[in-house]
Parts: sequence; structure tokens; C-alpha cells
Amino acid sequence: MQKVDTFRISLLPFCILIFSIFALMIVTYLAVSVPIFQKEGPQIYTTNIWKAAENNPDEEFYGVLAAIYGSVYTSVLAVLIALPLSIGFAVFVIDYAPQKIKEPLIVTTDIMAGLPTIIYGIWGAFVLVPMLRDYVMYPLHKHLGFIPLFSFEPAGGYSFLAAGVLLGVMVTPFASSIIREAYRMVPFTYREAAFSLGATRYEATKILLSYIKPAIIAGILLAFGRAIGETVAVSLVVGNAFNIHPSLFAPGYTISSLIANQFGNAFIYGYMVSALFAAGFFLFIIGLAVNIGSLIILKRWYSHAQRF
Amino acid sequence: MIAIETVNLCAYYGQKKVINNVNLKIPKNVVFAIMGPSGCGKSTLLRSFNRLLELNPNARVEGDVKLYGKSVYDMSPIEVRRKIGMVFQHPNPFPHMSIFDNVALGLKLNGLVKSKKELHKTVKWALRKAALWDEVKDRIHEPASALSGGQQQRLCIARTLAVKPEVLLMDEPTASLDPVAMEKIEDLINKLREEYTIVIVTHSSAQAARVSDYVAFLYLGELVEVGKTEKVFEKPKSELTKRYLMGRVG
Ligand SMILES: Nc1ncnc2c1ncn2[C@@H]1O[C@H](COP(=O)(O)OP(=O)(O)OP(=O)(O)O)[C@@H](O)[C@H]1O
Ligand SMILES: [Mg+2]
Repeated sequence: MQKVDTFRISLLPFCILIFSIFALMIVTYLAVSVPIFQKEGPQIYTTNIWKAAENNPDEEFYGVLAAIYGSVYTSVLAVLIALPLSIGFAVFVIDYAPQKIKEPLIVTTDIMAGLPTIIYGIWGAFVLVPMLRDYVMYPLHKHLGFIPLFSFEPAGGYSFLAAGVLLGVMVTPFASSIIREAYRMVPFTYREAAFSLGATRYEATKILLSYIKPAIIAGILLAFGRAIGETVAVSLVVGNAFNIHPSLFAPGYTISSLIANQFGNAFIYGYMVSALFAAGFFLFIIGLAVNIGSLIILKRWYSHAQRF
Repeated sequence: MIAIETVNLCAYYGQKKVINNVNLKIPKNVVFAIMGPSGCGKSTLLRSFNRLLELNPNARVEGDVKLYGKSVYDMSPIEVRRKIGMVFQHPNPFPHMSIFDNVALGLKLNGLVKSKKELHKTVKWALRKAALWDEVKDRIHEPASALSGGQQQRLCIARTLAVKPEVLLMDEPTASLDPVAMEKIEDLINKLREEYTIVIVTHSSAQAARVSDYVAFLYLGELVEVGKTEKVFEKPKSELTKRYLMGRVG
């Protein structure tokens, strides 16, 4: 008879606990969201209204479209910024960095990826926002203001752009480490093959990057997931205004900053808590989809890459 | 005419010397085999010819390698590698690219074709030359990873030929293949010998005897013996070569 592994069994409750907490969380989200769905239906997600009435719950109406718009807008910006930065950085670390500074660079980026995000937020609000406003937003608005992207007069600088840039800076180390690990795994023989055909370093790098394309996509998706879930740092720089505007310089809201800002007094109202939970639920679904999708891509790629 | 000549060639990995003062002359349009036991430096020697050794930051070369009398160190590494193509021990077509794209890659990189039509023509020519066309002509847009090992190796040969090199380096091209696939590659080498200078590394003296005109025996980084294949096999000058050929070394 097999000996019973008591240690293993003693770990089981922890495992069960974690999963029950997770399951309970989903149930809570659904349950608390129900009232707002019953009252408004899909309009909670398709309208941009934030009407809180203190004494008459029937007059309350919440539509979080502006926050969804802002979340997607700022996260897409972040990813557009992080993509070239993280690929460039990964290639630099693996191919060009001298052996001596390679490890310190890797450790530093990993630390940067794990820093408390409020640190980025404060830096963003005090340094990044004024800098962007004076050196990027105003000049662009003045000379190219007729383009919708630059059409909004950048008052304080708190804007989609500021949030996007800050998020881009924040997720770059994270995306870069995923891309870096994949790039490091490219078998040496493919490198040799590329160079033996007369490729320049730039061309060879391009060929090898095309080989790890799935990992790059996964890294960027995961970065998107991080960016869209980020709260504190964003709420310090995005402007927190219910605003659906095409301009980069307009202030806006994101789902997470909306929740963070409104939760404190939401209990006074009849439906606000429910509306915020519904917004959170939306974020939850996006996060789940993005993470599952990228993990599948990554796993498939790694098992494929290991065959060579 | 001498295609490749090495002059007092030494190669190091860090402090470790793995090629020791090798002087070789490889005539044009012959199959030249380099044989020797595992770890004697065959791959290193071959990679010094097309300057591929430079990919390894620890590797260092002393002495000279000449291609038709001109030092490869006086050319750009890109030019050298285009003129001296290479096929590797493990078939390494890019698995994420199609059969067509694998062959087309070198052509595009070096700007060797001017039109799409010419690209298609040259890819087809290279696949024919590598005796692969008939097997893949209906599926050249499928990924290269779908091919068998032997087919992948011929695809690598096609990829190399497409760039129109003058010299072809082959590092144990059949080491990871089954006997049937190996025979196909050896047949192919026999066909290509008229137009190319082929340097083939092998740890099998039988293969060297089958395919080569000249053979060099390398042992612990030193050139022990070199000469016409039948001469070396019939009457090896060195005791070490004799023992290797009888299977007592390596
Ligand atoms: N990248 C490297 N770094 C350090 N040493 C190496 C490296 N590659 C090879 N060597 C060493 O150099 C020597 C020659 O290696 P090489 O690969 O040229 O031998 P080989 O004759 O091709 O062997 P095999 O028949 O096993 O392929 C060996 O002792 C090997 O351990
Ligand atoms: Mg070898």
C-alpha cells in the first residue's frame, strides 16, 4: 500500500481555500451587479451618464461607457509605446549588452516591473504630466490642432496621453522580460542560419524576432491586461472626467480609476455600488480573456520551440 | 586553382586552443572531406572559413583564410558568407516560415532578384538543384516544419544554393538522418560537385571515402594528413590516420 503523504494532504486545504475565494469573488460580482442590470439592462455599458440622486434611487442612472472608452484608449496607447521599447530593450540586453552589465540590467528591469505602482503615479503626476503638457501637448495642439487627435486644448495636462505614456512606461519592463526570455530561447542554430545566408545584424534580428512572434504577441497582450487593470497611477494622471473624446489631450476616466474614485461615497446611493460592481465585472472579463489568450499562445509556442 | 586556403590558422575559445596551426589548400570544384573524431575541431575549422565563428564572442582566430587568394578578413563578413554557403549538422530551416520563404529569404536579404517572377524562378531552380522540387512543388507554401528530416536538410541546401555561393560548407549534413535520407544527400553532393567547391565535415571515414576527392584528417585541432582520398585510404602516411581508418581512434 502506498504510504499516505501527510504533508501533501495538509496542503490541500490551502488549495481549496484559494479556489473557493476565487469562486466566491465571481459570485459576489455577479450577485451585486444584478440590480443595475435589472434596472438598466445593457445600457450600463453603452451610455455615458453618471447621475447620482441622493434621495430618489429611481432617478439614478449610471452608464460607464466613458470609463470603458478611457480604459481601452489608454491601454492601447500604453501598448503602442511599450511594443517598440520592450522589443528594443530585449534585443539590446541579449545581443548587445556587455556580459558584465547583462545581469544587472535584467535584475533592474525585473525590479522596475514589480515596483508599487503608486511610485509611478506620483512621478507621473509631478514630472511626466507637466513635461508632456509643455513640450508635447501645447506645441502639437498649437501647430496641428486641426487634427482630431490633437484638437483638445490641454489645460492641466491630465489626459489620455499622460495616462497612456505612464502606463507604457510601467508595462515596458514587464513586456520586455517576456519577450527577452523568448528571444533568449531561440536556438543558436537559427542565428547561425540567418547569418550564414549573408544577413546583417539588423536583418538577422528581424528574422529571429519573427520566429518568436507568438511570444511577442502574448507579452503585449499580458501588458495590455496589466495596463487596463492599473488603478492608482492612472487615476493620478488621467483627469477623472466623464469624457469620450478622440483627442489625446482630453481628460478622461478609466474603469479602475472610476471605481477607485467613486467607491468611497457609493454607499449613499441606491444603485451606485451595483453599477461599480458591474464596471468591475467588465474589467474582470477583459482581464480573464487577455490572460487566458496570451497564456495559451505562450504555452503553444514554448512547446513548439522546445521541439527544436 | 585553389578555392580556399588557410595560413597558419589557429582558433581559440577563450584561452583554449582548439585549432592549431592548420595549413590547408582546398582546390576548386572538388569535394573536400574533413574527418576526425568528435571534438577535434572540425566544426570550428569550418566556421572559420565563412567567419561564422565570430557569432561566438568567446571565439578568436589567428592566421588567415583566403578565398581565391583574397583574405576573407579583407571582405565584409556578409560578402564572405554569401560566397561561402553553409549547411548544418541538424536541419535548421526556419520552422515558422514556408518552404518557399525559406529559400527566398537569402535572395531577398542580398537583393539578388529584381522581380517577383525572378524570385519564383530562382526558388524553383534552387529546389530543383537540391532534388526537392518534385516532392514539395504542390505545397511550397506550407511551413517548413512539416517536412521530414531529410527533406528539411535538402531544403537547407536549396536555401544555401539560392544565394549562388561559390563554396558550400557542410557540417556533418547527414549525422541526424536515416540511411535512406543520407543516401539522397550523398547523391546530391555527387551532382553538385561539378559546379561547386564542397567542403564536407564527417566523422564517418566511410562517408569520406564515398563522396570525397580529397580528404583531410584532423586530430586534436591539428592537421595530421591531407591528400587525394584514395591515396589516403590506401596508403595513409601517418600512423594515426591508419589507426583512425581502422576504427581504433575516436
Ligand atoms: N562554443 C564553444 N565554447 C567553448 N568551447 C567550444 C565551443 N564549441 C566547441 N568547443 C570546444 O572546441 C573543441 C572543438 O569543437 P568542435 O565542435 O569544433 O569539434 P567537432 O570536431 O566538430 O566535434 P563533433 O564531431 O562532436 O561535432 C571541443 O573540445 C569543444 O569542446
Ligand atoms: Mg561538429
